[in-house]
Amino acid sequence: MPPPPQFPFHNLQELRHSASLATKVFIQRDYSEGTVCRFQTKFPSELDSRIERTLLEDTVKTLNTYYAEAEKMGGQSYMEGCLACATAYIIFLCMETHYEKVLKKISGYIQEQNEKIYAPRGLLLTDPIERGMRVMEVSVFEDRGSSGSSLSSSATSGGSAQR
Amino acid sequence: MPTSGGERIKASAFIPVSTAVILLVGSTTLFFVFTCPWLAVTVSIYVPPCSAILFFFVLANFTMATFMDAGVLPMANEDEDKDDDFHAPLYKNVEVKGVQVRMKWCASCHFYRPPRCSHCSVCDHCVQDFDHHCPWVNNCIGRRNYRYFFLFLLSLTLHMVGVFLGGLLYILHHTEDLWKLHCTVTLVVMSVSALFFIPVLGLTGFHFYLVFRGRTTNEQVTGKFQGGVNPFTRGCCGNLEYLICSPISPKYTERLIKKSTVRVMPPFLRPETDRQIPTLKVGDNGLNRHDVQNKVSLSPPNTPGSHSVSPEHILARVDKQLAIPPGPTSTPLQLNSLTLNSRSLTLKHAYRHGNKPPALHPEGPTSRQLSPGVFPLHDPLSSRCSLSYDSLVNSADPHYPAQRGAPPLHYHPRFMTLGPDSSVLQRPPPHAYSPVDLTPQALIHMEASPVRYDNLSKTIMASIQERREMEERDNVLRMQARNQGLYSCPDMGVYDIPSRRSLPTDSMRLPGSRGPTPPAYGSREFMMSTGILGYGGTRSPLSSASSSSLSRAPRTSSSPPQSSSSLQSKARSPSPAYLPPDRHASPSSSSSTLPRTSSSSSATAQYVHPKRPSLTYPGKEGKDSAPLGAAK
Repeated sequence: MPPPPQFPFHNLQELRHSASLATKVFIQRDYSEGTVCRFQTKFPSELDSRIERTLLEDTVKTLNTYYAEAEKMGGQSYMEGCLACATAYIIFLCMETHYEKVLKKISGYIQEQNEKIYAPRGLLLTDPIERGMRVMEVSVFEDRGSSGSSLSSSATSGGSAQR
Repeated sequence: MPTSGGERIKASAFIPVSTAVILLVGSTTLFFVFTCPWLAVTVSIYVPPCSAILFFFVLANFTMATFMDAGVLPMANEDEDKDDDFHAPLYKNVEVKGVQVRMKWCASCHFYRPPRCSHCSVCDHCVQDFDHHCPWVNNCIGRRNYRYFFLFLLSLTLHMVGVFLGGLLYILHHTEDLWKLHCTVTLVVMSVSALFFIPVLGLTGFHFYLVFRGRTTNEQVTGKFQGGVNPFTRGCCGNLEYLICSPISPKYTERLIKKSTVRVMPPFLRPETDRQIPTLKVGDNGLNRHDVQNKVSLSPPNTPGSHSVSPEHILARVDKQLAIPPGPTSTPLQLNSLTLNSRSLTLKHAYRHGNKPPALHPEGPTSRQLSPGVFPLHDPLSSRCSLSYDSLVNSADPHYPAQRGAPPLHYHPRFMTLGPDSSVLQRPPPHAYSPVDLTPQALIHMEASPVRYDNLSKTIMASIQERREMEERDNVLRMQARNQGLYSCPDMGVYDIPSRRSLPTDSMRLPGSRGPTPPAYGSREFMMSTGILGYGGTRSPLSSASSSSLSRAPRTSSSPPQSSSSLQSKARSPSPAYLPPDRHASPSSSSSTLPRTSSSSSATAQYVHPKRPSLTYPGKEGKDSAPLGAAK
């Protein structure tokens, strides 16, 4: 007769379908072209077993394109500056800057990528803006049901398996 | 009235900005009231409106320079620097347009400062493209508000010129009534503008120079690009264009962050097969069934005829194999299914035979694909062993039944004694924390092992056994040496319990640092671990003994005193980015990163460059360097 489990019972079903955060991988900024916002396209080796190289590289390259567009010094940014100056910068209270608009697009893109590509692989991209655009965080999740990463879950699933 | 020291400092920080506001607004108002009407009549009707617009422009830029976030970088999250242990260097080199630029570790913000970023000691945060901290606007000047600051200076200069000239005209036409109110007021306004005109003009000229050269005040003052090439300049016109036309970069702090609604749920796709990873199912009979393809190819089990290896040696091999836990250091593919099979089986059998359940221990969230029944082998030594023995998976020798009736073997090799003939003497420990049941039933199940031992000779097995012993001995010695004070080993991070991140990747944990420690652990190890914990409570031995000369301090409290960070910022000043002389200062720079701020202050104080105090800025900005250190 197996000993009764000493831990609160968890539904095995619930356990099997949960993921726990295992580690975080950071994609650093690429400063080779100055202080413009670019991220390294070098594939982190920790993700070798989690995602195809090309997928992540494509995501990073697309994000770099977005950031380049945001920081582009062109007609739009000039007009924005003049308008702001002319209105004594009161326009900033009413209008969103070009950069902010692109950031919103980036945020939507990251969300979409997470839903389609990263979450099914147990990964999650964090918007770099949350880290001050210094790093891009990739959270790596593990299947909690099989990883035995927590005491209670492993013990409980072990205990419940004996029943 | 502010009573505490901190509040007093805060109040005094508002004095320069209040003075600036009063002088600016007050003088201009007096000018408009007393001098402008005459100018409108005598010189031109457009004088007052133009002056008003200019003054409005000055105020707008002043407001933006004062209240706009300069480009503050938020502090790094705890888990961001977990990869950088105590031995990560203080500086990290990065190449910018072919020029080596040094990124310094910010002890307050816990990241390597991006190029051109600097830590403001007054505001206690890192600022992108840090220029300086201006007391007259009581704000840092950085990437986001440098334009407004520059335009403020420019417009203020023009405004002061206009006010002075207007006043002069008025006075020249009213020399006979100098003691009248209007004249007196105009004279006062003129003298104020004349008094501040020289510093403001000087500062404006200085910033024009900086813009042309593509440098920040910080870079100019620290002499970063004195002898070398400035990789950040875009040329004279490019710099001006960047100043005027560049888009305003976003604010990083106090952002409304949308919570991600993406749910991450297993099973997860993997790149090799793009198939789902089957979850390990523990069936009714305790057998693990899963189809994970692994590197060990399945081969038919041993035939009964192949018993060239003695049961004792096979047991020794099995024991070795089982003694090596697939810790977090292994990759999931190295963990073959059969190892897991055996462990879960034996767990199951252990339960069946009424043994107490093994003290399950979380191997860390990074352990992957371990079945719930994986044993918590608390053996730090074995966790570090390579898994080269993995291929020597539990043998399937059906002659194991010869061991029937023998007490169950346990995993821990230390509790095993080896006879002179390398045969394994089984001795059950008083409290085996991971009893392995090698009873016949379990062993028969192990027949499903794919690896054949047919060809392994006695001598080979004996030599493997000896090698194992030696490794064990080495590991024990190493552990002892480690615990006696080689603080520079990465394991020391294990003992620094308060500062460990929530996601430890370090699998090398001594039992003492874990929660459920089995009681029967070797007494020596227990002693060592408790001894180390005593050290681990304080961080001073760790930091003082850090052997690397350029290692940075471990994570300290979230709000370091400003004095240390100001001194650190000063310490930064003498070293140009690209020149090696800084390396000579490395011993002191390493001490400058000690978590103990008092020691860091004293260390860096020695190393403040003589050039720093003698720098005089033209105009008001000369006072800026003083507040860096003095405004504490």
